[in-house]
Amino acid sequence: MAETPSKSLRSPTKCKQQSHLDANSSPSVNPVTPQSVAPRRSTRRKLLAFDSVDPQKPLNCIDELCEHPSKAPNKDKARERRNLNRSRRSIDYAEEPCKGKVTTRRNRTRENVSIGKAHKKESNSGSAKCPTSTPRGETSKRRNDKDSDSAKVPIAPVSPDQSETKKRKRIDERRVVTRAMVARSRKSEKGQKSNVLPKRRVYYKKVVYDGGEFEVGDDVYVKRREETDSDNEFPEVEECRLCFSSGDDVMIECDDCLGGFHLKCLTPPLKDVPEGDWICGFCEARKIGRDVGFPMPPEGKKLVRTLREKLLSSDLWAAHIESMWKEGDGTYCCRVRWYVIPEETAIGRQPHNLKRELYRTNDFADIEMESIIRHCFVMTPKEFAKANEGDDIFFCEYEYDVHWHAFKRLAEIDNDNEVGEESDSDEDWNHCKESDFDTDDDVEYDAENTKDSRPQSSSNHAPAANLRKGQFFGLQKIGTKKIPQFIRNHKQTDIERAKAMLLLASLPKSLPCRNKEMEEITSFVKGAICDDQCLGRCLYIHGVPGTGKTMSVLSVMRSLRSEVDAGTIRPYCFVEINGLKLASPENIYRVIYEALNGHRVSWKKALHLLNERFVEGKKSGEKADQPCILLIDELDLLVTRNQSVLYNILDWPTKPHSKLIVIGIANTMDLPEKLLPRISSRMGIQRLCFGPYNYQQLQEIISSRLKGIDVFEKQAIEFASRKVAAISGDARRALEICRRAAEIADYRIKKLHSNSDLAASGKGLVAMADVEAAIQEMFQAPHIQVMKSCSRLGKIVLTAMVHELYKTGMGETTFEKLAMTVSCLCTSNGEVFPGYDTLLQVGCRLGESRILLCEAGSKHRLQKLQLNFPSDDVAFALRNCKDLPWLAKYLV
Amino acid sequence: MGRESHKMKALSLLRSRICDPKFVFKPLHDSPDSNYSKLKFMISSSITEACNNSILLLGPRGSGKSAVLELVVGDLLVEYPDMISVIKLSGLLHSDDNCALKEVARQLCMEHQLQFSKAASFDDNSQFMVAMLKECGLAHKTIVFILDEFDQFAQDADQLLEKRVRSRFSHRKLLFLPPSTEDSKRILEQVLSLPVDSSFPHDYAVEFNRKVQDILEDRRFKETFNKYLNLDSSIKHLLRFLFCAVSCMDVQTGFLTYENFETAFSSILRQPKLECLKNCSILELYILVCMKRLEVKEQTLCNFNSIMKEYKNVHDSFQTSDYYARNVCLRAFEHLINRELICFTDSRGYGSSVEFRPVKLLISSAELHQGLKAYHSCPAILHKLMDREG
Repeated sequence: MAETPSKSLRSPTKCKQQSHLDANSSPSVNPVTPQSVAPRRSTRRKLLAFDSVDPQKPLNCIDELCEHPSKAPNKDKARERRNLNRSRRSIDYAEEPCKGKVTTRRNRTRENVSIGKAHKKESNSGSAKCPTSTPRGETSKRRNDKDSDSAKVPIAPVSPDQSETKKRKRIDERRVVTRAMVARSRKSEKGQKSNVLPKRRVYYKKVVYDGGEFEVGDDVYVKRREETDSDNEFPEVEECRLCFSSGDDVMIECDDCLGGFHLKCLTPPLKDVPEGDWICGFCEARKIGRDVGFPMPPEGKKLVRTLREKLLSSDLWAAHIESMWKEGDGTYCCRVRWYVIPEETAIGRQPHNLKRELYRTNDFADIEMESIIRHCFVMTPKEFAKANEGDDIFFCEYEYDVHWHAFKRLAEIDNDNEVGEESDSDEDWNHCKESDFDTDDDVEYDAENTKDSRPQSSSNHAPAANLRKGQFFGLQKIGTKKIPQFIRNHKQTDIERAKAMLLLASLPKSLPCRNKEMEEITSFVKGAICDDQCLGRCLYIHGVPGTGKTMSVLSVMRSLRSEVDAGTIRPYCFVEINGLKLASPENIYRVIYEALNGHRVSWKKALHLLNERFVEGKKSGEKADQPCILLIDELDLLVTRNQSVLYNILDWPTKPHSKLIVIGIANTMDLPEKLLPRISSRMGIQRLCFGPYNYQQLQEIISSRLKGIDVFEKQAIEFASRKVAAISGDARRALEICRRAAEIADYRIKKLHSNSDLAASGKGLVAMADVEAAIQEMFQAPHIQVMKSCSRLGKIVLTAMVHELYKTGMGETTFEKLAMTVSCLCTSNGEVFPGYDTLLQVGCRLGESRILLCEAGSKHRLQKLQLNFPSDDVAFALRNCKDLPWLAKYLV
Repeated sequence: MGRESHKMKALSLLRSRICDPKFVFKPLHDSPDSNYSKLKFMISSSITEACNNSILLLGPRGSGKSAVLELVVGDLLVEYPDMISVIKLSGLLHSDDNCALKEVARQLCMEHQLQFSKAASFDDNSQFMVAMLKECGLAHKTIVFILDEFDQFAQDADQLLEKRVRSRFSHRKLLFLPPSTEDSKRILEQVLSLPVDSSFPHDYAVEFNRKVQDILEDRRFKETFNKYLNLDSSIKHLLRFLFCAVSCMDVQTGFLTYENFETAFSSILRQPKLECLKNCSILELYILVCMKRLEVKEQTLCNFNSIMKEYKNVHDSFQTSDYYARNVCLRAFEHLINRELICFTDSRGYGSSVEFRPVKLLISSAELHQGLKAYHSCPAILHKLMDREG
């Protein structure tokens, strides 16, 4: 491994920079106690006012921690929590439109599991299958290495890179301890003494340490080294860059250098914090090329650097707490996930990076709580946009893969669930699934892998990516090496915003026009859940495509889930299946079973187990008690010859203790009637029809999405809705027409007026003409145009076909007859007859583009031909042909 | 020698231009109405604005659908390196779901240097695909699926998509139409003129271009060219013509002549049936004429035996000199079948012998007539027989 991930994280330049900074700083200042915080920007409040816990008192464990005195009870507890979480997870399915996502999630979960396991079983931490394990395992090794210098622990240093070790040594001279990975080194120290791992390890969800209250999931600053110098002060308050005092006055932050200024210290002084961006005079001066320095602090007072400044100059680290525990010897440790600043990534800071931007990494480490300084707040773009106060807020939109040096946007679902819970919930399942992976040779593989350079790591014994057993191995490789600048810097024009809102993929905030149906579904599901028996509950939903069937059910399930979270209704599990995504109808058993229990078995076995559960009422595990809601989309695809699949699924709800609720969705209204009577009697009782939308509803749907974006002419939306309502009432169509219209307008503006300022301003309405064009494109078959642009002979052949049809009244003709007609037409109009063989070719070409339907050309004169479109269309297309005006007389 | 080499160079330059869609389609790109710029706009908006789109490229064979798509994708790959993965499927190969998914998974693996397993099931592959789509979405990577021969995936492109699929299809349509005659001429001129710069001797290039201009102005050439385009005006067809013509160029003189185009025209537009007749023996012609007579007598079904009877009738009534034994006739009959001048009407029936299987004529009487006229040593009796029915 020539290039280790963490090497690039802490590159040599950084070290130098750091030492330089150190040299500047004056020695020994005691930690500053929190003071009253001066408001920063008018709205700022005291963010960092800590609980006034005695700072000397080392630890206060807050009541809600879960304590595991030994391993066995520990496990019990874990299971309890897992069960709690299970229900949550199964509800999570509701959010996921497709099965595949489940897997990804599991994938992620697993990595968390292995994190959890790492505490217990050290050998596990190097599992090759865990996407994050390699970098982590490696960093731990290196940290060991680093520690061995200071702590003199006899571990053979695995130094992947000589130069790096040297660098480290230099840091070591200044006693770098804090960053060291405590867990491992300590363990090995212990190993020397007693050879026993600490038995007691107590996990906490919340810890008060040294005056700060830390929870799992918090973001914190982490000390980079044991500070003996001046930088050991952690100012809670930022000082004004001009008067060098904090004071209670309102401060404003420069959007460029992030420096803070009192409003009153500025020249001229400001009264209020201005709207929008504000740049200080120094940065402005620097921009126009003048060399201006900040005023030096008065003699004897040094400029105190805030933690934010230190972090952004990589003198500190930020991390995300994944879990916390107390070691057997009483030290408090936690597992953290590092954040890096853009400078620490392989490509360095990019022009599009924000000043306060951090990247989340997939690099984990166990650290002692002692090295944690205090909270910081790393936010998603949405949260960040709202946050307007405090100096310790950071922006994080991407995850940085320290191994592949690749960036990936953070998925939004990440924030929905707490990672810690997830890791427990799937542990059991993961255990049995991956027991084969956690063997020694995987560790070996891992070790090998770390030595390999990147491309070789996918060598022969790497598991295949598309096999489920490999859990889609290697997906972490996907990521962009460089975040494209235009994505970050691009400011959306109104039309682009409208386009984005009209995407079928974007989920609207509100779902208008289906309230009645949604209420009905809600009451059905609620009734079914609350009913103790859950007898024979089955709902059949039908309606033409694009009328919001699936969307309504899913949104009902979402709102019900929030009710479950609030505790107003009983928990339930929700399984969503799409008939179109099943390889065969029988596979549905497998999918259901997997969704409920997490195991993959053959469909026959799954059927057996499901029968046990639903028919015989044999409950395995506590969760099986919960009612189960099964949503089957495209139900009609489950119809087999003997209809046994549908029968089984619809029969379960009728059993006494099944607690199964089936919601089936299909297009046809009379599906139950088409089925065997024994099935329709089980399914056809409760039905819900989603009628096609009418034009007002379509208009409302479109306008609700476009709320606040004023690019469409009012009539344009109405026109599109009326048109779609008249044809199909399909909301997807209506949205697509509008989006296409916006696209056409966008194209028109960007291409045709590329020089005018119209494009720059992004103004311009989507007009009727654009909608008209979109509708044309969507609904008009292109055959008229194809006929119009046919070759000359093609046109003659088409005319002959029509002529033949008018003459004989027969739609079908043979090539021989056609050729005769063509030759007649040609001779009487002074055209050269091209010969039979050529004519045959022309006919076949027309057949290829399906203007004609014709048999294979080898049949020659026996070939049968037929027009594929009404003769009127041909007549319409060719009547006004300029090249061949005589065609018109045969087309009437 | 030097002169020879630059003539060869000119020839190969012309050939490479004709084979290079980039060169041929380039002049049609500049206008905002061209399919190239529309398609590029749509795909790049998918890349920059994360708009999911499905676009249908429609048009007759050889109108440049794939060529333009390749061009657009190629340009975008340069413009946005590392941000596009292209997955190509062909309806002829992957119309089966299982096979298509496997191929998608394979290409995704290839694209991202992942290990691919052939053993993965349908479920695995489809879930892998969904997982990959999500990951790529997060990593700002756009996946372009190119479904060639799309109508093989659906029953009929656009018109007969399954209703659920149609509802989800985003209905962008780009229609590729053959170029107008003027455009064709412009392409012709552009492809054939040599660059007047240092790459060729100045005099040679000027002379070459002048000759090309002369040819293009020639009335005969215009006639031939129009005749050619009357059949099929697509770009591919045009390029084929040019390639043939350029390949006929005499390397000694190093210039194109009108005759080159004439040769190309006749070598592309063949008359297979008439040419077949030209190579037939007299006996074979007899058989064809006999079949023709039977058909006129509205004896719709005939086989070798009934033909032989007719042949004998003809012989008896006209006392021709060409009377052959039955086994010779059978051989001639088989020849005709092999040349597809006649065919069996039933597809099965391999068990029964050739003599008894019903056959039909695959050449119209007009063609037969024409063929006989063109045949040098055709016996007068055959003409007479044909004329009588005429």
